[in-house]
Amino acid sequence: MSDPYEILGVERAASLEDIRKSYRRLAKKLHPDLNPGNRKAEEQFKEVSSAYDLLSDPDKRARFDRGEIDATGAERPRQRFYKDFASEAAGHPYADASGFEDLAEEDDFLSELLRRHRQARANAPGPDVHYRLPIEFLDAVNGATIRLNVPDGGTLEVKIPAGTDDGQVLRLRGKGAPGAGQGKPGDALVEIAVKPHRFFIRQGDDIHLELPITLTEAVLGGRINVPTPGGAVAMTLPKNSNTGTVLRLRGKGVRRHAGGHGDQLVKLKVMLPSAPDSELESFVSGWAGGKAYDPRRDMQP
Amino acid sequence: MISKQQFLIRARLDQATLEAWIAEEWLIPSRAADDLAFTDADIARASLIRDLKETMEVNDPGIGVILSLLDQMHGLRRTLTELLAAVPERPGRPVSGRRDPTG
Repeated sequence: MSDPYEILGVERAASLEDIRKSYRRLAKKLHPDLNPGNRKAEEQFKEVSSAYDLLSDPDKRARFDRGEIDATGAERPRQRFYKDFASEAAGHPYADASGFEDLAEEDDFLSELLRRHRQARANAPGPDVHYRLPIEFLDAVNGATIRLNVPDGGTLEVKIPAGTDDGQVLRLRGKGAPGAGQGKPGDALVEIAVKPHRFFIRQGDDIHLELPITLTEAVLGGRINVPTPGGAVAMTLPKNSNTGTVLRLRGKGVRRHAGGHGDQLVKLKVMLPSAPDSELESFVSGWAGGKAYDPRRDMQP
Repeated sequence: MISKQQFLIRARLDQATLEAWIAEEWLIPSRAADDLAFTDADIARASLIRDLKETMEVNDPGIGVILSLLDQMHGLRRTLTELLAAVPERPGRPVSGRRDPTG
């Protein structure tokens, strides 16, 4: 580093007041915040500041004059300048676009840029806050109101509309972070995570259900009660209903955005009694049709 | 975010000065819950104001004028940056993706 007296442009015998005056003059000219975009000014300002630090301290100045320390001994660490923040992307309250407002009035492109700058001004709306809310399957299908505890100690009432899907994001206007100054608060964005159900499976707007039926119901048919998300409904089982048969309950699925409901698809699964039944055994052993029918006839390799 | 206490220490300000600067709108902290919240940009801006006041001996009305002009200039600088980024072709720069068939 070169000579601090030279940098400040003062005589070696200059008084402290002279040094201060000279520093003030150079700072006005070279301060990086008054010269954003001028890297040379920033470098010079750092040199001038270091030189001033050295020469404004009588003790350091004396030691330097005696040759005990060199000019770099007094480099002062400087935090980032304001211009480094002001040149970053929009989003701080000091951004001011009024310098080209008149130009923007005549130009759509500029006025779009101006609009974006405006959002970053003093009364900018608050940012959106994101939450993730796990809910029960039936609450998602039927709709519900759920209280969400937010980190700052308050609660948010989240209205889950019927038919809400896994991963859907609900926007609660004005429930986000507060705005700057008079700015409106942001929104709360609640991502819904639907927990799986024990036996209902959702595919689009349809509900799929595997329904166990007894051998008697399978063979003879009849009316049975079938659970749906909205409650049990009666369904007529035709005679000879096999495992794998799918029956459709119209309008018993999930509410659609466009109106109406999806369907519930009931896939039958014939269940034998869980314990062996001697009456059934003796009937089946004397049943000729049971031996004639081969369900694996198409499975010859 | 930086709390008010932290800000006063790091910006080397006292409470009364901070209140005066906020009243002048030289500093615009955001309001978090029931207290003020500051950023690193606020600290840098505070030290700019100190430089103006103490080193350059600018008086208070002058500081207001300087800050307002600086903010407008930064607005212009950012807009200019965005404009430059948005202009796809500039003379003297190689143009990628499109080539003049005759050339």
